[in-house]
Amino acid sequence: MHMADALLAPAVAATMYVASGTAAGVSIHKLKKDDDAQKLPTMAVTAALVFAGQMINYTIPGTGSSGHMCGGMLLSALLGPQAGFLSMIVILAIQCLFFADGGLMALGANVWNMAFYGCFVGYYLIWRPMMHSRWFAGMGAKAGQRARIIAASVIGCVVTLQLGAFSVVLETSLSGITELPFGAFMALMQPIHLAIGLVEGLITAAVLTFVYESRPELLREADMTDGAVSAKRSLKATIVILAAVALVVGGGLSLLASENPDGLEWALFGNSDAGYAENMGLDEDDFGVESRAADTAAAIQEKTAFLPDYAFANSDTPAGTSVSGVVGAAMVAAVAVLICLAGGFFRKKRAAAAK
Amino acid sequence: MIEFQHVSFAYERGRSVIEDLSFSIADGEAVGLIGANGAGKSTVMKLLLGLVSGEGTILVDGVPVNRQNLSQIRRKLGFVLQNSDNQMFMPTVYEDMIFAPLNYGLSREATEARVDAVLEQLGLQELKHRHNHKISGGEKRMAAIATILAMEPEAVLMDEPTSALDPYNRRLVINTIRGLKQTKLITSHDLDMILDTCDRVILLSAGRIAADGPADQILRDRELLEAHRMELPFCLAGRRLE
Amino acid sequence: MNKMEKALRELSEMDELAAHASPVHGLCPTAKLLTAIAYILTVVSFNKYDLSGLSVMLLYPVLLFQVSGIPVRTCFYKLRIVLPLVMAVGLFNPIFDRAPMLTLGTVVVSGGVVSMLSLMLKGLLCLMVSFLLMATTPIDALCAALRRLHVPGMLVTLLLLTYRYVGVMTEELAVMTDAYHLRAPGQKGIHISAWGSFLGQLLLRSMDRAQELYSSMLLRGYHEHFHYVDFKPFTFSDGLYTVGCTAAFLLLRFVNVAQALGGLIVR
Repeated sequence: MHMADALLAPAVAATMYVASGTAAGVSIHKLKKDDDAQKLPTMAVTAALVFAGQMINYTIPGTGSSGHMCGGMLLSALLGPQAGFLSMIVILAIQCLFFADGGLMALGANVWNMAFYGCFVGYYLIWRPMMHSRWFAGMGAKAGQRARIIAASVIGCVVTLQLGAFSVVLETSLSGITELPFGAFMALMQPIHLAIGLVEGLITAAVLTFVYESRPELLREADMTDGAVSAKRSLKATIVILAAVALVVGGGLSLLASENPDGLEWALFGNSDAGYAENMGLDEDDFGVESRAADTAAAIQEKTAFLPDYAFANSDTPAGTSVSGVVGAAMVAAVAVLICLAGGFFRKKRAAAAK
Repeated sequence: MIEFQHVSFAYERGRSVIEDLSFSIADGEAVGLIGANGAGKSTVMKLLLGLVSGEGTILVDGVPVNRQNLSQIRRKLGFVLQNSDNQMFMPTVYEDMIFAPLNYGLSREATEARVDAVLEQLGLQELKHRHNHKISGGEKRMAAIATILAMEPEAVLMDEPTSALDPYNRRLVINTIRGLKQTKLITSHDLDMILDTCDRVILLSAGRIAADGPADQILRDRELLEAHRMELPFCLAGRRLE
Repeated sequence: MNKMEKALRELSEMDELAAHASPVHGLCPTAKLLTAIAYILTVVSFNKYDLSGLSVMLLYPVLLFQVSGIPVRTCFYKLRIVLPLVMAVGLFNPIFDRAPMLTLGTVVVSGGVVSMLSLMLKGLLCLMVSFLLMATTPIDALCAALRRLHVPGMLVTLLLLTYRYVGVMTEELAVMTDAYHLRAPGQKGIHISAWGSFLGQLLLRSMDRAQELYSSMLLRGYHEHFHYVDFKPFTFSDGLYTVGCTAAFLLLRFVNVAQALGGLIVR
């Protein structure tokens, strides 16, 4: 699910950087406020463990294939959402820098797709409410908690992976990279990630139950020392939240997409004549200030137009597609070869001189 | 230099690991702390470094080990961990070596000078810019000692400094320890090494001192050692085949 | 060799490359990072049909490879990870976008093919430049650069520490994996009965390890603040490199040099 640089337009990549950066800033602030200095080494070691652990192949019974584990849920269950989020950022950065998994510019988007959902959505909307819920209470304290851990891991991984996959589709489509209609792209991505999410969830559940049975105090919100389950949020509320998330992900946006495959882009970015606000359905009278800002933004965007689809006004002739473009490209290749030859020549000369 | 006065400690209530421990170590002394697994050796180290706190008083240069004095105390004590990987947390040896001096407020220039001096002292100049994950176990142990010496501690504490080393590197570490002028407190099951490096030995057993005296005397006492789940050092045992 | 050992090899290969000496290695890491970002931004901003304009951008990484003496082979090895997703997304373009764009003799090239090729080229170019950045910059120097660019210290320190322990943990897991397979011949992966305990055991040990690591930081005077090694100051020539390269990228972005060159001959 790692996005590559090539799949993102600069505007989308920058937006995702801002979004992820904000979440990181808030997390750092929270961690600093809590002043839990011991966190840093624990985060580093756990992040390194998850990095390595994602390389383990788990055999899926009954099939010939293998699955991997879900880092975000595991990290936030162990370290809490903020520390888990920062750890995921670091893991993704190392994957991008040293293993070319992802890209420098796509890092913001990757952090959002894989870390934000897994850590914050997964923790606050799924892990914590479920740990405090009375699900499986009839099974007894310990067995019930175990069942809750398994359920939270599976649901968490499935939901957060769905969100992540959806974001990949959204970001790629907004970047104008693929000709694949939005709805079709989604129909391709979501089911695959449903299966992946289920397996990842089960593996994550296996690891977390093991930890729970050996050292329950290591798991967030799962400590049963007081015996009683403190139900901060009722089962009903949990289900309502989960349903809402599912509805937004599965329903709303895909509906929008299928009705008007190209409409999503239009709806979010506006065409060149009208401002954002109008297209987003905002009432201009009520949002006068915002809509002026939006108009300005649209005007600026029109001028700079760093989205490939709109490109630069003067270079938007189907450039590079004429014969002279092809010949020119061939000449560029020739220059590149020349540079290589020259480089080789100078290196040999230096090697000879060194002798 | 180091003084324990009636120190007790328990991780869990009722199961004490250290019981009413008292001893003192003079400036420049080299003391081996020996005992079976679980005798409380590591806990003594942790108490001394203020990583855990128990009952009784521990003094370092007359200053009690407590929350207020921690940084003052830790600055004087260099602790070499058993697992060098846990100690060397920076990417390169050099960065690990400058970590402590800079934290203790030394200037960049003075730190550089110190690092180079220590590397030369140990003959490790070649390791300076090597990556921690790419040096051998023996090099890593020597580098770990170097990072501690760069702090210029008044006393060096070592936890199993010769574990998992080949004979050559083990000897290298032993010679290095012998060359150190600082006060030394070393815990180990490698009694030959203790005999080579320490002039005094404290034998711990179930959190209490079972014996305290010259290394030469305690490490020759077969009955005493065997009573506390240990054996004579190989060099003193002779070749006795049974 | 298992997956983890391969990853370790890749890591140490990058370290070795970064330890070489060349004019590119000698640049201030901040300058290299900024230039790489400028390059990637320029590349991805190219119109999806502007294949010839994009092709000129190839000259920069080629030049860097030659000046730095970094072997291209290592870089292509890493393509195996980037290309699949890019391909998967790009492959649909020829199907959906059949408008003819260019006729070369009798062959008609559709817009979809052009945009697919340009997407793949973009993937390649971005990868090459990120790879070159990391192959000529050690991680500690990069961290110092990030710090200078005001990335929060906590994040940079975490990156540095995690990088260090990625080596340690991967190695441990590599050994565990080997140990598992020695006693489970014929199994491709970890059996379901060991799903939890295999990683869980290591996880518990790591928690203790983190505790010890924290102690060793404390004992050496750590208090919420890391000192970064900063070998290279940002000099005038570093500034010149950054500004010069960025200006060149922008020039190539707005002026289609390939088109102009070709025009000299074809017209």
